[in-house]
Amino acid sequence: MNRVYEIITDTSLDYKDKRHLLAAEAENSLPYVKISEKAQNYFSEGILCDLFEGHAPYRPRYILPDYQKFLQKGSEYLNLKPPQDLFEAVNALLIIYRYVPSITGYPVYLGQVDELLEPFVLAAGEELSEKLLKMFLVQVDRVLPDGFVHMNIGPKDTRTGLLILKLERLLKHAVPNISLKYNEETPDSFAVEAVKTALEIGKPYFVNDRELKEDLDPVYGVASCYNTLLIGGGSFTLVRLNLKEAAKKAKDFQDFIQNVLPDAVLAQAEVINARAKFIVEEAKFFETSFLAKEGLITPDRFTSMAGYFGLYECIEHLTGLKLGKDKEALDYAEQVLKTAKDTLESIPGAYCYGTGGRIGFHAQSGIDSDIDVTPGVRIKYGEEPDIFTQIKTIGPLHKYFNTGISDIYIFDRTARENPEGVLKIIKGALKEGIRVFSFNTSDSEFIRITGYLVKRTDVLKYEKGEVLREDTVKLGAASIKNNNTEARKVRIIGEGSNQ
Amino acid sequence: MKGVINKIIEVSFIDGPGSRMAIFLQGCNLDCLYCHNPETKKYCRNCGACVEQCPAGALTNLDGKVTWDNAICQGCDRCLEVCPHSSTPKTTLWKAGDLVAYILENEVFLDGVTFSGGECTLQADFILEVSKKLKEKSNLTVFVDTNCFLEEEKFLNLCQNIDGVMADLKAFDPVLHRKLTGVPNELIFKNFKTASRLGVLFEVRTVLVPGLNDHPLEVKNIARFVADLNSYTLLKLIPFRNFGVKSYLKDVPSLPEEKFFELFEVATGILGSRVYGKYIK
Repeated sequence: MNRVYEIITDTSLDYKDKRHLLAAEAENSLPYVKISEKAQNYFSEGILCDLFEGHAPYRPRYILPDYQKFLQKGSEYLNLKPPQDLFEAVNALLIIYRYVPSITGYPVYLGQVDELLEPFVLAAGEELSEKLLKMFLVQVDRVLPDGFVHMNIGPKDTRTGLLILKLERLLKHAVPNISLKYNEETPDSFAVEAVKTALEIGKPYFVNDRELKEDLDPVYGVASCYNTLLIGGGSFTLVRLNLKEAAKKAKDFQDFIQNVLPDAVLAQAEVINARAKFIVEEAKFFETSFLAKEGLITPDRFTSMAGYFGLYECIEHLTGLKLGKDKEALDYAEQVLKTAKDTLESIPGAYCYGTGGRIGFHAQSGIDSDIDVTPGVRIKYGEEPDIFTQIKTIGPLHKYFNTGISDIYIFDRTARENPEGVLKIIKGALKEGIRVFSFNTSDSEFIRITGYLVKRTDVLKYEKGEVLREDTVKLGAASIKNNNTEARKVRIIGEGSNQ
Repeated sequence: MKGVINKIIEVSFIDGPGSRMAIFLQGCNLDCLYCHNPETKKYCRNCGACVEQCPAGALTNLDGKVTWDNAICQGCDRCLEVCPHSSTPKTTLWKAGDLVAYILENEVFLDGVTFSGGECTLQADFILEVSKKLKEKSNLTVFVDTNCFLEEEKFLNLCQNIDGVMADLKAFDPVLHRKLTGVPNELIFKNFKTASRLGVLFEVRTVLVPGLNDHPLEVKNIARFVADLNSYTLLKLIPFRNFGVKSYLKDVPSLPEEKFFELFEVATGILGSRVYGKYIK
């Protein structure tokens, strides 16, 4: 019970942190879900990692309720009738968010909020809507203080979407994370507003709507960091594979492709399936969730996720080539990803009905304790080539990932003077295959860690030992130190030559 | 035809509308007191003064010709500091066709290209060839950032074959102009009118230098001149900063913020929203 006592008496944690950790401690008093010795070895070697999901999972890691259906039908469990105006709609959403399970305890998906609220906003008029949406956003930031809480807007231009962007620029909150689904039909005027917002506060992301609709599902959402999953479903689990560590076990590149990687991927799939089965069969999640009973989620919209990271170091270790610098590195990178994906898809994914019975392929963004290993398939921070080469190197790798991938670009402050120029680059990047384009400015008060945002001022407070509302700040502070986040190359060199 | 290029910035947000590749050409015909990159003024004379100073060993003197190895250069710019001739050993020679191919590789990310410098119009023939080839193969626009101190005929020809001119007006007052740049501004005004008439004078840019052209009357005259030209050209006001300056102005402090906004208001009073610019601290 030592650990329980430690948690209870830890002065860097507040009440909610302690409650969360104590629950995890209780879960972890059970043995780990049944997995083979081989899989266990991969865990102890640091090749596989379940991102602290717990030994005996009792809820899916990511859930994306169908909030549209909720607003249309209301909820018997929550004793809520379908909302009739903006007040009731905002109230209903804020209530249901508290009832969406996840690993952190906070909902990772807030819905397509512009689409959900647009009819109510149009009826309520500009002034009232702005006031209510402001309260809604303040409420989300204060009550759900977690950088993985994710809101979606777009691709259509809406009054609500514009108001959200305007308010976010004003409020400067780290929460929620925001994604703009972007496609050819998104008007430039709306996209430019989103660019202006992202240049101020590091969000929204630009998401390649057309590609994800085709590759994943027409009704998808972006949750947590940048996980693309089916609305009305989600993902049971995310188990990740460290490509850098796996590469160290191989004699050479061929050995890696033919033996080491397939073996590790199969062990990864085994763990993922064991965890998904436990949630469905032992914890009987769907039988106990009102979201399932009321049809806001259905098992046929769920999947699981296999995450991959450290591709940069994997290629460097096995071939001596650097992704983004040496052209041949890209061929090796594609071979690695194709092998991993083919292996993963060679076996059934338990209860992965949402992605055709196969486990989803995901570029994992790293966690705070990772040291010297690059997230997903990104180029190592500080080693990025010019922005065009970076996009053209990473773009072809995004097509493999149906359940989430992103790349981060840092512009200098001159980008703020020319959001149209930034939009042109985003459009180009999406054409080159980038699925989630995240960007920020080098002087921003916000730091994009791996897939979530923290405020610089909060990191400083945390380092001074203050207890903070946002749980993601602690993760961010550690990640900045361990992953050289601040070394990301700034794009666009200073002022023009001729003043 | 080959161009002497000082550097290429793959994407710039401050050299014209949208996302643009900025291509800085070597060589200048003015001698501005506040020049922020004096290394772009002259061609390398192969004097070799920089060779021994290079900490990376990226410079060598081969048969009286200074050569630069980009692969080992650390970008410390020590060579620029020690150059006695306002030049650089780091220029590269580009064939027009190669430059066009390089630009087109990145076409999907760009609205166009902007030639800057130095004074890019000194290599007007090179710009014309690049522009012609580029327009055969893409919809990219070509802009030049220029001091407009070029023979009228050549300038006219250039303007007829590009999409936009961003023109520096260093000073309105002829005496002040000569003091600031070493040349008169009569020809420059003529070329402004030519570009304006052809509909390509995208913007006029003026750096406001403390004690020299930061007088309300000077700014009023510049704004009036722009207003009289047409109804579309923008005026960008830029506060002086001593970054990179080598003349006596290197010890002059930046233009104070209040002064900048006072002058900004003077210009706005005449041109309205056509004036823009930002005070950078």
